[in-house]
Amino acid sequence: MAPIRNRREFIRDLGVGAAALPFLLNLPSLGFANQTQRKKRLVVMFSPNGIVPKTFWPDQEGEAFTFKESLKPLEPFRDRTLVLHGVCDKVRGDGDNHMRGMGCLLTGIELFPGNIQGGSDTPAGWAKGLSIDQEIKNHLQGQPETRTRFGSLEFGVMVPDRADTWTRMVYAGANKPLAPIDDPYQMFGKLYGNVKDKESLKSILDDLKDDLAKVGSKVSAEDRQLLQEHATFVREMEQELKESASAGHAVPEIEPGVKEDNDNIPKITKMQIDLMVNGFAADFARVATLQITNSVGGARMRWIGVTEGHHELSHNPDSDEKSQEKLTKINAWYCEQMAYLAKRLAETPEPGGGGSLLDNTLIVWTNELGKGNSHTLDDIPFVLVGNGLDFRMGRSLKYPKLPHNRLLLALAHGMGHTIERFGNPNYCGAGILPNLS
Amino acid sequence: MEAFAADRTGEQIYKQQCASCHGGTGEGTVDYPRALAGDRSVAQLSGLIAKTMPEDDPGSCVGDDANKVAAYIYESFYSSAARARNKPPRIELSRLTVRQYRNAVADLIGGFQESGGWDERRGVRGQYYKARQYRDGDRVFDRVDPEVRFDFGVTGPDPEKFQPNEFSIRWEGSVLAPETGEYEFIVRTENAASLWINDNRKPLIDALVKSGTDTEYRASIVLLGGRAYPLRLEFTKAKQGVDDSKNRKGKPPEVKASIALEWKLPHRPAETIPGHCLSPRMVPESFVVTTAFPPDDRSVGYERGTSVSKAWDQATTSAAIEVAGYVTSHLRQLANAQEKDSDREKKLREFCLRFVERAFRRPLSDDQKQRYIDRQFSDSKDLEIAVKRVVLLALKSPRFLYREVDGNADAYDVAARISFGLWDSLPDQALLNAAASGQLATREQVVRQAERMVTDLRTHAKVRAFFLHWLRVEQVPDLSKDAERFPGFDETIASDLRTSLDLFLEDVVWSEASDFRKLLLSDFLFLNGRLAKYYDVELLPDAPFQRVTLYPGERAGVLTHPYLMAAFAYTSTTSPIHRGVFISRSVLGRSLRPPPEAVAPLAPDLHAGLSTRDRVTLQTSPAACMTCHGRLNPLGFGLEHFDAVGRFREDEKGKPIDSTGIYETLSGGSVPFSGARELAGLLAASEETHTAFVEELFHTVVKQPIRAFGPRALSDLRRSFAANGFNIRKLIVEMIASTALPAREWKP
Repeated sequence: MAPIRNRREFIRDLGVGAAALPFLLNLPSLGFANQTQRKKRLVVMFSPNGIVPKTFWPDQEGEAFTFKESLKPLEPFRDRTLVLHGVCDKVRGDGDNHMRGMGCLLTGIELFPGNIQGGSDTPAGWAKGLSIDQEIKNHLQGQPETRTRFGSLEFGVMVPDRADTWTRMVYAGANKPLAPIDDPYQMFGKLYGNVKDKESLKSILDDLKDDLAKVGSKVSAEDRQLLQEHATFVREMEQELKESASAGHAVPEIEPGVKEDNDNIPKITKMQIDLMVNGFAADFARVATLQITNSVGGARMRWIGVTEGHHELSHNPDSDEKSQEKLTKINAWYCEQMAYLAKRLAETPEPGGGGSLLDNTLIVWTNELGKGNSHTLDDIPFVLVGNGLDFRMGRSLKYPKLPHNRLLLALAHGMGHTIERFGNPNYCGAGILPNLS
Repeated sequence: MEAFAADRTGEQIYKQQCASCHGGTGEGTVDYPRALAGDRSVAQLSGLIAKTMPEDDPGSCVGDDANKVAAYIYESFYSSAARARNKPPRIELSRLTVRQYRNAVADLIGGFQESGGWDERRGVRGQYYKARQYRDGDRVFDRVDPEVRFDFGVTGPDPEKFQPNEFSIRWEGSVLAPETGEYEFIVRTENAASLWINDNRKPLIDALVKSGTDTEYRASIVLLGGRAYPLRLEFTKAKQGVDDSKNRKGKPPEVKASIALEWKLPHRPAETIPGHCLSPRMVPESFVVTTAFPPDDRSVGYERGTSVSKAWDQATTSAAIEVAGYVTSHLRQLANAQEKDSDREKKLREFCLRFVERAFRRPLSDDQKQRYIDRQFSDSKDLEIAVKRVVLLALKSPRFLYREVDGNADAYDVAARISFGLWDSLPDQALLNAAASGQLATREQVVRQAERMVTDLRTHAKVRAFFLHWLRVEQVPDLSKDAERFPGFDETIASDLRTSLDLFLEDVVWSEASDFRKLLLSDFLFLNGRLAKYYDVELLPDAPFQRVTLYPGERAGVLTHPYLMAAFAYTSTTSPIHRGVFISRSVLGRSLRPPPEAVAPLAPDLHAGLSTRDRVTLQTSPAACMTCHGRLNPLGFGLEHFDAVGRFREDEKGKPIDSTGIYETLSGGSVPFSGARELAGLLAASEETHTAFVEELFHTVVKQPIRAFGPRALSDLRRSFAANGFNIRKLIVEMIASTALPAREWKP
């Protein structure tokens, strides 16, 4: 029998049911008291313009369900997937649905009145509150045992270079949108720039020491003292660099020279996902978002044979079968990205603990609309993969049009942050979404 | 021997018993060549002497004798303090000061971009559009606005030419940072706006999305003083996003529009960016290193780089990394190297060579090219990493960090002496060219370069910093005043006064005559509407700063400038002592010992009947005080006509002011005077004042002790200062001319 790697496996191997878990977890006699609480991670992945309901939502409820075309790529993770139908963005107020769909998606609160005019409705500005990922990040960063170097990482893919209500999903606070980093090289610099700088520094040290010695021989004895003192500091730096290098972790290689343009979306998405997984393995952050394009995003997926822009296609009526097929393909492609992320997490061992990163991570894939041509904010797609939050996975759930604030609350609770309200309290009803765990 | 031991001093004992072997000042002799120098304490020395000295008769110098001679040796030449004291001043190896480092890096990078552009025009260029976007067809007019503070009401800039609810304005130009530090920029608008400062791509403030009720947007940026930075402000009163103008029905609501561009200088309250700091011409971006450095040693009265510390070394590492990051992300502009260029490597190597040569202020030898450029490129596959390594190596090299470290003593050293003297920065291309072509060999050639360079903004910044230091207001002082005695004297007035002092200094120093005496004698100053109201001068309330004569016949230049009068005063009364100390230390260059004991000033209300003058006299009447205050107080009393905010007064507490005083000259004379103008007249004509000014300015410019340049350096400069009508600019040029050329003592 393989050695038991952690308490979860130990308990699983004991054959104890989920109901008994809380009791067991409080038993120090099980001998795992020295093991710190397991890491929990949350990823929110966004794609725009709604989905095609008939090719997306499983017909069945419960554990016995079948994936339709849009969600087919998740088949390998069936047991670790939770599809939530019937969760609705009920936030109203200023701004059109694309704007509110984006700005209220993770904040659960209205937009301020403002000067940004949408395709309909009144003009609006930014959201009135912070987003749930930032709320959770602040909670984790507030405690030494869950604090990480960055707390959260905001990834993007081809996000237009303008800050407005359609391009910002993450908020650090009211009127404080955070720009996702959609350039993998910029993200790489943020994550590993200091390691790279140290490598460069190390590589010039010999030349620098020679230089100091050479110069020292050219000045008077009195002046030389100053240079000798300087040389001591350089030697100390060398020592410190050596020590920090042995404590460091591997820096991933990334493909050079990938330009930010539409046709590189698959490449950039993969690079960003790889960086995210590496970042988790190094415990740089416990929370991440991945915003692919933006609300109303118009990616042209030529790589799967779709030449029209995503947004224009999404306006076509349900009767336009060709468009429905293309939209289904588009969403299946987004789903593949989620599956790739899940796969990378599943094959990366959890450092310092047992299992894989996916055992301790929940990915939530969502969208600013339920359906592109109706612009509805009902039935917003929420597809969850991974075992990070102790939700009972491997199910398709159908809710009677419950507000999405309650899901946001459940994410916070799952991450150990038991707040009672989030966003507009009127949509927090009876607390977290029922039946998740 | 014991019999007369008690009468002998340590010095006498040394001369009689020790000097024959150790030399008259412990320098050693042929038989005993080792100098008496070390780090033993007096007690240790005394023990050693009692036990071992003199060698031919140990035990003959013990007890009190040993103690006395040990103390004498220690104080006179043995201890490190004594050795430092006895050493003749010399030109010491110095690293760049923090100020020099920041400037050098800015100019190092700036040398790869087009330069300049701060001309005589003030204000910013405004382009007014009748649409929400900036399309030429919608451009209604351009004009230069002296500053940005507009209230357009509900009608807009011009009801004839603009729709009230859809117009946009773009202001472009440059902003001059008077001093180094963190600047907070503030945009106030009910509408939408974005502000770019020193970065034409990424806005410092992005408020193009109007959201909620915010009308104030702030962001901070570090700027180097004495430099201009590109500025762009875009303002729009219009809806953004989807254009729904075709669908609008009915009369649009009346909405107000306004915009103001303010800043907060380091330690100052917010103000509208004044026109005299704006230019309608856009200068290129420049690089400002933001790494924090430990402050330089200024224990001798000026910043110098004669010591290093671990914190400093770490700062140079962080700064080098910061610069390397900037360089590698701006290779397109700096090296003109595109990603796809087939000769990219060649371009980058050329760039690196120029970078290192500029950093080291001289061409590289073949060996050095190999070390600093070629090896870095051959060791690294990635071109950008190679560039990064070159930058790191160059900026960590002693050849960049120190002055004159490689013992060349050639024309390139002369070039660097000129540029660091005038600009605290690297030589520009013209200076390097002159060095390369042998055009820096004679005094005339040096003077020609110095005269070309002395009017540059960088000299303005250096000279301004010097004067604020000379006037002891380098750190912005807290000028809070008693609100009952001085109602209305608030943070804004205090800040305006500092600007007023700045403008006065700038006016005198950079006028044609640049006459030092005018600093002490002028009766004009600069006031804006706010200050004019406070000091009872007739100006429009929103008048910009202008030249005004205040209290004609009474004021005397900086000596009575309200900013200094307020700084050298208490919250409700003047302080003749502080004013006397200022004149004594700054103007006369006298060194003062601190008071023998800390003394709290006498409270004015305990002596309700006494004038400030009488109270100060009473307080300092003990003989122990009068050794210094006997000379200080009578100088400070001369300014008693100016109250704690610098307003002229005839009386205090109903008694007429007594502003008579005495100036005790160095030669022992006592010259009586009455009032600020007579005092200023004495000071302006005094050789003591001129000498003090020359010495202090020299130390700021050259950053080496003036006595290291020969015993006559100071008096020669003072004489030339007098011969040139006390022209400050000519004095600076003369300082450069007299110090840049001569070979400095030590050669390898």
